[in-house]
Amino acid sequence: MKLDPRTKLVMVFSLSTLAVFVVDVLLLSIVLIISIIVANFFKANWSFLNRVRKFIILLIGIAFLQSIFSPSGQVLFSIQNFTLLTTGGLAKGLRVILRMLTIIISATIMKGSSPREIIQALIQWRVPFELAFMVSLAIRFIPILGQEAKDAFTAIQLRGIEIDKLSITKRFKVYSYMFMPVLSGIVHRARELSTSLEARAFRAYPERTSYIKLKLSRYDFLIMSISVTFTMIVLTIYLLMG
Amino acid sequence: MQEVYKDNPFIEVNNVSFSYEKSDIILKNITTSFYKGEITAIVGPNGSGKTTFGKLLTGILTADHGYILVDSKNVEEITLGSIGKKIGYLFQQPSRQLFNPTVREEIGFAHSFMGKSKEVVEQKVNKIIEEFSLEGLEDSSPYRISRGERQRVALASIFINKPTFLILDEPTTGLDIVRKDKLSMLLQNLKSQGIGIILISHDKKFINKNATRVIELSGGELHET
Repeated sequence: MKLDPRTKLVMVFSLSTLAVFVVDVLLLSIVLIISIIVANFFKANWSFLNRVRKFIILLIGIAFLQSIFSPSGQVLFSIQNFTLLTTGGLAKGLRVILRMLTIIISATIMKGSSPREIIQALIQWRVPFELAFMVSLAIRFIPILGQEAKDAFTAIQLRGIEIDKLSITKRFKVYSYMFMPVLSGIVHRARELSTSLEARAFRAYPERTSYIKLKLSRYDFLIMSISVTFTMIVLTIYLLMG
Repeated sequence: MQEVYKDNPFIEVNNVSFSYEKSDIILKNITTSFYKGEITAIVGPNGSGKTTFGKLLTGILTADHGYILVDSKNVEEITLGSIGKKIGYLFQQPSRQLFNPTVREEIGFAHSFMGKSKEVVEQKVNKIIEEFSLEGLEDSSPYRISRGERQRVALASIFINKPTFLILDEPTTGLDIVRKDKLSMLLQNLKSQGIGIILISHDKKFINKNATRVIELSGGELHET
């Protein structure tokens, strides 16, 4: 069953909204499980987790910092008078991890929809074409920017700089050098792209026609309704319960 | 002198295969050696895996099968930093390997970063600037100069490290005839000093003039021509 990208966007939006507003760890876990099930249904490629592995380590680090700097509840672990882990802090840390994982995993639902289809979905939602086009460009360029940063890091090392043997301060200095080629690439590409767009008469006419037209099916309406209703019910109960 | 180098390959490629994720095999069971004091040109059609092969030789990419030895050490077991001390690698797009605000800082980057004195770095940078005809561009941003000039800055920043071996991916792109001649002279000079060079290029004229050995990559296989 191929769903309309608008349906997928509604699902992503619903799950992300729940992840942001829900505070209860148990309910957040349920939202995460739902995201995993839905992403699995859309045949998410879980190998991306390998790529974001370092990011997950960072999340765990943030969770620990949350736990240390905003302690509450029972003390679980402390060194002399310094509290390292509390039940409240641990819950806050867990919330950060669960929220971020839900947002990342729910975004994989969009897999299978091409950037062109996503633009069309936004246009048919009456988002101005220019804005929709910018969003799709941003999505398309993310992997390129990643590759450029990686290339810059490789180039720095190939100048004979052994990262592993550097002090932390020097390591940070090396990382700061990576921004120059990436930023320069962004500016350069933006300039070339704008020239190319002008040359192809971008925005020459106020009205645009489109070769692709998306059509919502019965399933799309059904899934969208379920997603929105479920999100509204959970949030209303949450707000009413304070 | 070259015969001495022939006994000790600087880079040994043993039965190497490589493919990118979700794509066909780019390189199939490649075995070859590269020597110091030799200029080897790697030619082949677009998409034949020339750049990929160059990246495998420097450890930027890792082989699926087989192994590569650089100076008798497996590239997978040594860091890019230590490979960089032996091999100078020129990227196909030089802007990706420039990361300093000025040409002068770009060329002196490795030496300044490794804590060499300002005077020593200045002296070396000035010499290289002269060698690569970069006078007048010292304080320019490497991103605001022409492509040819950028190519020369990238080359200069590699040469300052005095590598034992060089891998140059399309080094003549953006160079005019005079600069190409100068690059030729420089490569011949380096060759006579015993430095090994791999030229990945489409520039037939430049290859015929400089290469002592030409190998062709096509259909994932390597052929000596």
